[in-house]
Amino acid sequence: MYFKKNFNKSFNILLLRILIIFVFILVSFFIIIPLLPLFLKSFSDNKNNFIGLENFINYIQNPSLTQSFINSLKVAITTTFFSVLIGFIYAYALTRTRLPLKKFFNTFSLFSLYIPPLAVAIGLIYIFGKQGLITQGFFGTIPGFDINLYGFNGIIIGEIFYCFPQALIILVSALNLSDQRLYEAAESLKASPLRKFLTITLPNIKYGLMNSFFICFILSFTDFGVPKVVGGNFNVLATDIYKQVVGQQNFAMGATISIYLLVPSILAFLIDKNFQKNEASLISGKSIPFKPRKNLIVDSIMFIFCSLILILVIGVFSSIVLASLIKIWPYDISLSLQNFRFSNVAGNGYEPYFNTVFMSIYTAIFGTIFVFFTAYLVEKFKPLKKIRMLIYFFSTLPIAIPGLVLGLSYILFFNKPSFSVPFLDFQIFNPFSLLYGTMGILVLANIIHFFTVCFISATTTLKQIDKEFEEVSESLKVPFYKTFLRITIPLSLPTILEIGSYYFVNSMITVSAIIFLYPAKIPVSSVSIVNMDDAGDTASAAAMSTLIVLTSLFVRLIYEFTSRNVSKKSSVWINPLET
Amino acid sequence: MIKKEGSFKYLEIKNISKNFGETFVLKNIHLDVFKGEFLCLLGPSGCGKTTLLRIISGLERQTNGDIVQDGLLISNSPTEKRDFGIVFQSYALFPNLNAKQNIAYGLENKKINKKEIEKRTNNLLRLVGLEKYSDQFPSQLSGGQQQRVALARAMALSPGLLLLDEPLSALDAQVRSKLRNEIKLIQKKLNLTTIMVTHDQTEALSMADRVVVMERGHIAQIGTPFELYENPITPFVADFIGKMNLLKGKYDKKNCVFYYLNNRFLISQNTEYSFLENCLLGIRPEDIEIIKFRKNIEKEENILRVKIKEITYLGTIFRLTVVLESKLEENIFVDVISNQVISNNLKIGDFIDIKLKKEKIKLFESNL
Repeated sequence: MYFKKNFNKSFNILLLRILIIFVFILVSFFIIIPLLPLFLKSFSDNKNNFIGLENFINYIQNPSLTQSFINSLKVAITTTFFSVLIGFIYAYALTRTRLPLKKFFNTFSLFSLYIPPLAVAIGLIYIFGKQGLITQGFFGTIPGFDINLYGFNGIIIGEIFYCFPQALIILVSALNLSDQRLYEAAESLKASPLRKFLTITLPNIKYGLMNSFFICFILSFTDFGVPKVVGGNFNVLATDIYKQVVGQQNFAMGATISIYLLVPSILAFLIDKNFQKNEASLISGKSIPFKPRKNLIVDSIMFIFCSLILILVIGVFSSIVLASLIKIWPYDISLSLQNFRFSNVAGNGYEPYFNTVFMSIYTAIFGTIFVFFTAYLVEKFKPLKKIRMLIYFFSTLPIAIPGLVLGLSYILFFNKPSFSVPFLDFQIFNPFSLLYGTMGILVLANIIHFFTVCFISATTTLKQIDKEFEEVSESLKVPFYKTFLRITIPLSLPTILEIGSYYFVNSMITVSAIIFLYPAKIPVSSVSIVNMDDAGDTASAAAMSTLIVLTSLFVRLIYEFTSRNVSKKSSVWINPLET
Repeated sequence: MIKKEGSFKYLEIKNISKNFGETFVLKNIHLDVFKGEFLCLLGPSGCGKTTLLRIISGLERQTNGDIVQDGLLISNSPTEKRDFGIVFQSYALFPNLNAKQNIAYGLENKKINKKEIEKRTNNLLRLVGLEKYSDQFPSQLSGGQQQRVALARAMALSPGLLLLDEPLSALDAQVRSKLRNEIKLIQKKLNLTTIMVTHDQTEALSMADRVVVMERGHIAQIGTPFELYENPITPFVADFIGKMNLLKGKYDKKNCVFYYLNNRFLISQNTEYSFLENCLLGIRPEDIEIIKFRKNIEKEENILRVKIKEITYLGTIFRLTVVLESKLEENIFVDVISNQVISNNLKIGDFIDIKLKKEKIKLFESNL
C-alpha cells in the first residue's frame, strides 16, 4: 500500500553498537578478567595444582600474617577517622568561615597531593626519625623529642598526610553546595548554631562525608609506600604481599593475601555505592550560596588550625628538599648536589626518572582519550543499555582495587601467551601478552589504577552538556562522531585537561601498581626510591622524591596556565550576555 | 475532519501507542496532518504530546502503530533517515559555534560546495531577520534571537516537516507574541507542514490551523481553534480551552430543562444530547450577564441570585467569583465589562442576579 523505503538500518547506529561493544571488551579485559587468574592462583600452589582453600587456611593459621590483617584494619580505621576529621575542619574553614588568607590556604592545602606517599615517609624520617630534626632537636641545638616513628605512629602520620587532601577535596565540594536561605529560615525560627549544624549542615554533606570515609579507608588500608619506608616491624597486608612476591617468589600466597586485601575494599566500595544511590539533590538550582559572617573567635581558631596543618605539610616537603641537598645528614650538613647523581647502589642514573616522565606522559595521553571516550559512549547514547550499565559499573570498580592487587593480577594475566580452554585441548592466543615486559603494561596499569576518578569527572561534565545536541545532530543528518569532535570535545576541554594532568601527576608518584610490573630494562623512579631506601641510601631517595614533586608541580603549573587560556577563549561562549 | 482544499494528507499517524512497562503514555492515536498545515498538540504536562512529537521524529520509538510520511512508511526508520527539522524548548544551540555556524551545521555535512552553503545560510539568516548577528555566539544573543537561530537551523536542510517542541515557553511574554506571528508568517510563506507542541492554549489558538487537544495519552478533540472554543465535546476540552463553569445537575430531556439544586434552566433544543439524567451544564464566564436586581426573579428564565465572593481586575474586564447561598463552596465565574462593575458599584458581599444565556449553554456527559 505504501512504498517502504529500505533504509531501516542505520550505519551510524551500527557503528555505535560496535564501538560500545568494543569498549565493553576492553574494560572487561583490563579491569575484570585479570582478576580471575588472581582468584585461581589463590586456590592453587606454586606449581599450579588446585588445592582449594588450603592457602586461606594456612594464612589464618599463621599468627604473624593474621596480625598483619589486624594491623591493616587498625591503620585504616585510625587514618580514616583523623583524615576525615582534619579534612572536615579544614574544609569547613575554607567554605563556611571568614578565614584570613583563604586563597593561600586553599591553594596550599592540596600541596601534599603532589608528594608521593613514599616521599612523605622519607620526609618524616628526616623530621621524626632517629637522626631527625625534631628527635635530635635541630642538630642538637634544642632538646630533642622522640615520637617513635618506625611502626604504627609513623604509618598513621604518613597516611594522614596522604589521605587528608583526598577527604578535603570531597568535603569542600560538598560544603560548597549550600543554601543561604535554609540558614536564614532557621535563624528566623530561632535555631541555635548547634541545631543549625545538626539539621542543615550535616544532612547536606552526608553523601560527601560517607564518600570521604570510603576513599580514606581504601587508600590507607591498601597503601604500600608509607608502611614500606616507616613501617619498621609493624607489618601490614600490603608489605606482606610485597615480601611474598618479591622476597620469596611465592605468588600463590601473594595472591591469597591480595584476596584478603581486596575483599574489605570491595565491601567498602559496595556500601558506599549503595549509600550514594539514594543521593538526591537537596540543593535546588535557585539556591543562594552561603555567605559566612565574621566571627572573631571561630575565624582565629580556624586560622591557627589551618596554619598548623600547612606548617606540617610544608615542613615535610622542605625536609625532603633539605635532605636531598645535604651532603651527609647529620654529620656533614654542608649543601651539595651530589645526591642528585644517583650513581650509587640502586641508582641507574637518570634513566628511571626519564622513564617515569615518559610513562606519565603516555598515561596522560592514552588514559585521557580512553576514559573520555568510554564516558562519552556510556553517557550520551541509547542503544545497548545493559552493556552500557556494565561498562559504567566496571569503570567505577578500579577505585576499590588496591594498586598491588592490580599489579599482581596484571602479571598473572599478561604473562600468559595463551589460555587453555577448560575440558578441551585447545589454546587461545592472548593478544594482550604482547604488552608484557614493555612500557605499555605500565601505562595500562596506571590508566586503570586511576580510572574511576577520571571516569566520574568525565561523566559529570558530559551530563552537563545538553543531551539534545545529539538529537539535533541526528535531525540534521550529521553523524555522531562529527558532533563529538566539533561540539563535545571543545565544550569538555577544561575537564579533558584536568583529567590529563591528574593522570600525569598520579603516574609520577605511584608505586604500588607498577612495582611488580616494571620490566628490568625499564626502571622507574618510584621503584628506585624504594630500592635506594632499602639500600640505606635515603639521601638519594630524597633527591629522587624532590625531582618527582618538582616535575609534578611544574606540569600542574602548565595545566593551570593552559586551562586559564582555554577558559579565556571559551568565556565568550560561557558567559551569558550581560543585559 | 476538514480537509483543506488542494491539500493532501502529508503525515498519517496510525494507531500509535507507547507504553513504558505497565504505564501507557499514548493509547491508539490516529491523526492526519495535511500538507502545509500548522497543527498544534495541546494539553497539560504528562498528556503525551511531547512523546508523540518524539515518536514522529524517531527520537523515541512507538510500542505499536505506524507512521506514514509523504506516502512512505517510516515507522521504523532511524531519526537520521527521516525528513524533518526540530526546534527544542532549550533551543540546544551549540554554544561554541556562532549563529551562522549553527545554521550551517547540517549543510556542511552534505556534499554541497562552500558558496552554496554560504548563500543558503545567508538566506536563512535573512528569513529570520538576523543578518547582523551572524558572528555572535548563542550566549551573546537574546532568548528570542536564539530561538530564531534554532528555527533557521531546523529549516536549513529544507525539511518536509517542521517539529516545534514548546519553542516559545522559555521566552518572556512580549517576545513570545512577536515570535508567534513571525513563525506563523514563515510557515505560511514556505507552506511548511508544521507540528507544534505546547501547553499554552493562547499560543495554540493564535497559531494553529487545527489544534489537537490531548488528555492522559489520548486525543480528546481535534478541530480549528474556533470549533474547539465554540463546541467543545468534553468538559475537559471546555475548561482547558478558555474557561467554563461546570454545574452538575439533572437533565429532563422531554422538556429541555436542566435542574441545578432548586433552579431550572431552559436549554436550546439539541438532538445531540442523548444522555439522560445526571450531566454537567457548561457555560463560559462571558456568556453570563448581570441583570438589575429584581424582586420577582422566578418569572424570568435562567436567572440565579448570587453573592459576590471575589472581584478580580483583569484589565478590560472584571472576573467576578460568585456563589449561591445554598451552595457556598461552588464558585461560578462571571466576566463583566469593567465600567459595568464601576457604574453599578459592585462590592464583595453584594447580592446580584445573573442570567445564563440560553443559546450558549452546553451539556456534557458527567463522568464525575
